[in-house]
Amino acid sequence: MGKYIVKRVLQFIPVFLGVTIILFAMQNIVPGDPIKLIAGERQLDPVTERNIRATHGLIETDENDNIIYDENGDTIETPMWKRYVNYLGDLLHGDLGTSYQRGTAVTDIILQRYPYTLQLAVVGIIIEAIVGIGAGIISAVKRYSFWDVLVTLATSLLVAMPAFWIGMLLQLIFGVWLHVLPISGVAGPIAQYPAWMYYILPAITLASVSTAYTARIMRSQLLDVMNQDYIRTAKAKGLSKGAIIRKHALKNALIPVVTYVGMDFGAMLAGAILTETVFSWPGIGRETYVAITQRDWPIVIGMVTCIVLVVMIINLIVDVSYAFLDPRIRLGSSKSES
Amino acid sequence: MADIKNSALSRRQFVGGALAASALAALAGCSNNDGGTAGSGATTASGENVFRFYLSEPAYIDPYNAQENQGTAVVRATFDTLLTWDWDKNEVTPLAAADLPTVSEDGLTYTFTLREGMKFHNGDAVDAASFKRGWERLADGTMASPSEIGYHLAPVAGYAEMAAGEADEISGLVAVDDLTFQVTLTAPMADFTAVCCHPGLAPVPQAALDDPAAFLEQPIGNGPFKLDEPWQHNQYITASRFEDYYGEAPKIDGVYFNIQSTPDTAFTEFEGGNLDFAMIPTGRIQETIDKYGESEDGFTVTPGAQTLIGTELSTYYLICNMDNPSLADVNVRRAISLAINRQNIVDTLYEGTREPANSIMPLVIDDNEENVWEYCAYDPDRAKQILSDAGIDPSTISVTLDYNGDGGHEDIMSSIQADLQAIGITVTQNTTEWATYLNNLSAGNYGLARLGWTADYPTQDNFLYPNFYSTADNNYNHYNNPEVDAALDAARQIADEEERKAAYRTICHTIGEDMPVIPIMFYAHSYVGSERCVSFNYDAQTIPHFETAELA
Amino acid sequence: MIYPVHQQPGAAAHADAVAAEHGGAAVAGAKSRTLWGDAFNRLKKNKLAIAAVVWIIFVVIVAATADLWVPQTLGDPTATASDNMAGMSRLAPSLEHPFGTDTLGRDVLSRVIYGARISLVVGLVSTGISTLIGLVMGALAAYYGGIWDTIIMRLADMFLAFPYTLFVIMMIAVIGNGIQNVFIAIGILGWPQIARVFRSAILSVKENDYVDAARAMGASDVRIITRHIFPNSVASIVVYATMNIGGAILTESALSYLGMGVVPPDPSWGTLIQDGQQYLQTQPWLMILPGLAILSTVLAFTLLGDGLRDALDVKMKDA
Repeated sequence: MGKYIVKRVLQFIPVFLGVTIILFAMQNIVPGDPIKLIAGERQLDPVTERNIRATHGLIETDENDNIIYDENGDTIETPMWKRYVNYLGDLLHGDLGTSYQRGTAVTDIILQRYPYTLQLAVVGIIIEAIVGIGAGIISAVKRYSFWDVLVTLATSLLVAMPAFWIGMLLQLIFGVWLHVLPISGVAGPIAQYPAWMYYILPAITLASVSTAYTARIMRSQLLDVMNQDYIRTAKAKGLSKGAIIRKHALKNALIPVVTYVGMDFGAMLAGAILTETVFSWPGIGRETYVAITQRDWPIVIGMVTCIVLVVMIINLIVDVSYAFLDPRIRLGSSKSES
Repeated sequence: MADIKNSALSRRQFVGGALAASALAALAGCSNNDGGTAGSGATTASGENVFRFYLSEPAYIDPYNAQENQGTAVVRATFDTLLTWDWDKNEVTPLAAADLPTVSEDGLTYTFTLREGMKFHNGDAVDAASFKRGWERLADGTMASPSEIGYHLAPVAGYAEMAAGEADEISGLVAVDDLTFQVTLTAPMADFTAVCCHPGLAPVPQAALDDPAAFLEQPIGNGPFKLDEPWQHNQYITASRFEDYYGEAPKIDGVYFNIQSTPDTAFTEFEGGNLDFAMIPTGRIQETIDKYGESEDGFTVTPGAQTLIGTELSTYYLICNMDNPSLADVNVRRAISLAINRQNIVDTLYEGTREPANSIMPLVIDDNEENVWEYCAYDPDRAKQILSDAGIDPSTISVTLDYNGDGGHEDIMSSIQADLQAIGITVTQNTTEWATYLNNLSAGNYGLARLGWTADYPTQDNFLYPNFYSTADNNYNHYNNPEVDAALDAARQIADEEERKAAYRTICHTIGEDMPVIPIMFYAHSYVGSERCVSFNYDAQTIPHFETAELA
Repeated sequence: MIYPVHQQPGAAAHADAVAAEHGGAAVAGAKSRTLWGDAFNRLKKNKLAIAAVVWIIFVVIVAATADLWVPQTLGDPTATASDNMAGMSRLAPSLEHPFGTDTLGRDVLSRVIYGARISLVVGLVSTGISTLIGLVMGALAAYYGGIWDTIIMRLADMFLAFPYTLFVIMMIAVIGNGIQNVFIAIGILGWPQIARVFRSAILSVKENDYVDAARAMGASDVRIITRHIFPNSVASIVVYATMNIGGAILTESALSYLGMGVVPPDPSWGTLIQDGQQYLQTQPWLMILPGLAILSTVLAFTLLGDGLRDALDVKMKDA
């Protein structure tokens, strides 16, 4: 087990290098000059522009940070490979660079924003797990009942709605019409509602679609397991339905559900651009999206790398816990056929 | 920073085009705060006599990079520049300087005498050296994040050298003695005193150089309010009255800048009684006026007249690509301008709060008929007439309307498109991402492109020179009229104010005949103050005047 | 039920779940003629699927014939009249304007109908692109195996590991705004799921005797894939593609909501919601009605996909 984890962690390194190399390459492909974007429509004066480029290592400077000029008196653009090497070097000192737009260290921005994404993801995943698994179990156990139809109907509807639209409907109902929950944002020192209330609507929106999937997976898994021989045997032995479900069926049926929920948690930690946009939630999804539109590459690279690493860590945890839940799975063999 | 802005957002965000000004910001709202970390913010905020002001997250609150109106609001409260603009008299008036500067005969040297006994918030004395220090930070290319607003000092001798790293100081700035500060320009610029009002040109104590990182988060100024703690990003900034302030003591105890990411939640908080000043969201202006009353001048809140609808020094306009064969013809540009129903746009989309543009600059700058552009009227018949007189068949004209698709401009553009199609011109819209849009603008890859201009200084020069001088940075379509260039050069040297204004009027008129740009509307702010405000002024340059604010 | 992987937020997780769920995706029947005949009979008995088909046909007909009657009865979806725009702005639903009017006084129902064209075309074209790429990649991976399989499947993993919405946004940043680029972006990014489904379908068919027989008789690889393997995997692809259309429609609406879809003044369902959002407090129907259009159409494709799956007896473990 330990060996397996070490191996998986070592795999992070090539993935990290791959992701950062791709993002560095993107800088050449994506149109737009990030430094010109700082000033927007108003053009920066050439001297200022040059200084800013030098500060961010986009043009060559000597060891005293003086700008180097070529024989024509023009600045020399730092080649992308060299910027990449510099980036890796800085990274070893924990420096992810500085935002072009705001002059703030990228690490600070990540530390400022990530807690919001994390908090929302935790609340979201709790909703998803409780409501999704609960609804799935009810609908499987009481198959063809009113509740089963209700769950099936609700999940079908949920997965056919754009999540951002679900968010707006919630805002309309609870914020505008009923006035019981804040429409958006997070609580400040002088907020109208208690801080926890600000999490409810965005977390529900974030979890809505995947809760529907969780319920469906739970239902079908449970129905599947209930048809298996050992359950039939248990039934034949006269165990009550409730006992069978609790003691035998649930444990096996839960495995794929836990995997799904776990991986979805990873996905939530990657930030949710649309949910964050609808609710003005200051998480990393929106931050990254805005950084892409502003070509603020240090933020984009820092955020995406961070997201990918977090997702990989979560997946690793899911895989490891999967092995604990299901002894039939042996870690170390290649990923199950997909 | 002179850029377009939108009253719904900070200029910077709007310029960044990253947020759809109307749509994304619309409903969503947010106080990006963590309830648990209120700290002293909460105590200050709960103070009776503290002004609770809505802010969206500023870019910088350190004066060396003060550009958008969010950061500027904080800088203005915490720093005093040499001079300031008096909106009552519409002229420059001394602030940290004891009097207006004396100007040498050649118009190149300005000598300021500082007030005595001024102190920074940390107790250091404010002297001429501190102004030199503060101003030079704008030209210091070695700062962790160099200033983007150094261009304000471009007229000063030695600025270019320091910015280029060839000199360690700006030679044109001299601290003659503790209270005498001398500024030498490279060429006469009669409006230089207006430049000195810019919040970026503030003095800083030695601490700014010793620990720039700390200064960035909690600047130490010489203004009427001092920052109590470092900026709590996305949450709040608190300032309290500076007891050793040299001027008249403010009537309020402090300012609590409540940072919210969109105006809508701010407005909700305002309605819940948690803010004293907030922006009014789209579509709710009339309702707000009905409820809180409208201020007469649009800039001052008093009880019962709490809604501020005031024209700002910003123009929304289209720039014509002169390389486009159709648009190269002045008749076509005039006809297009005449065909646009500006009143309809402001009435439908802005509840009539913004003003249709009748010139490139709002008349509040210089209220004179001569500044009004003839072809900014709405007269589709005349537009058709002009085209037929010039022998142009409208159906042969085909132009694109270019803009960034993420800035909430769709409705304005669709409306313009419909107006132009009504006189037979074929118009297609071309939306691009913000970054691509800027590339296209620089590359001349557009037909009619959207631009905005917000004045740095409330002067005619600031609307005309940067946009229409042949070599100016912001002259995107390379408008080149030698007559205008010569007249602008000449006007900058006219010392007499009335004479100078008259010279600029003539220039403005000439440009209005050429129509290199098609002004659409003037921005206006729409804010509302609480019943607690006995008096609070928010001026046309979007500067809140906390120093004179009074709460009940 | 298949997860529309396009839906944010957890694209990667959904995709993995899909893949896991579809591990055994394969066609039970081998005789194609009876398969389709039986399937049709089974589908006819599924009321939900029939309702879905009826709704899809209705939407298609309305959208396709819009030019003939919508501008005359409801009003032009793009033109505005500046002489009384303020008076026509954001009217509440009425007989004359069943969905009300937007800020510029345009009939919202007319815009929703024209928006259906965009959504349907995006759904079909981008699913077509995804399916085509996915089929080729899946076939290469499954049929040739070995290094091909490894490369293609790792590539698919990489596509799935990257946050989906960010991926589309970056792609749009590279290729530019506009509806044709939206198909391309959604189409290209959708291939890994199809490739996985097709690959596992092939893997299960490949082992069958008739494939060995064909090979023994000297049939070429291409012939084996196109004549023998493809027809026997087509059911699962049809099912998957049908459901994918709904996913693509959802993605398009998300992109349009972020301002990266159609070029104004053309309407799309996503931009209509975005336009309506700012009037949530005062004219909520502007946001609700276009959302219902998305909901009903995506739901129809999902139900049809479900129906087809049951009818064709494609063993995708239902979730």
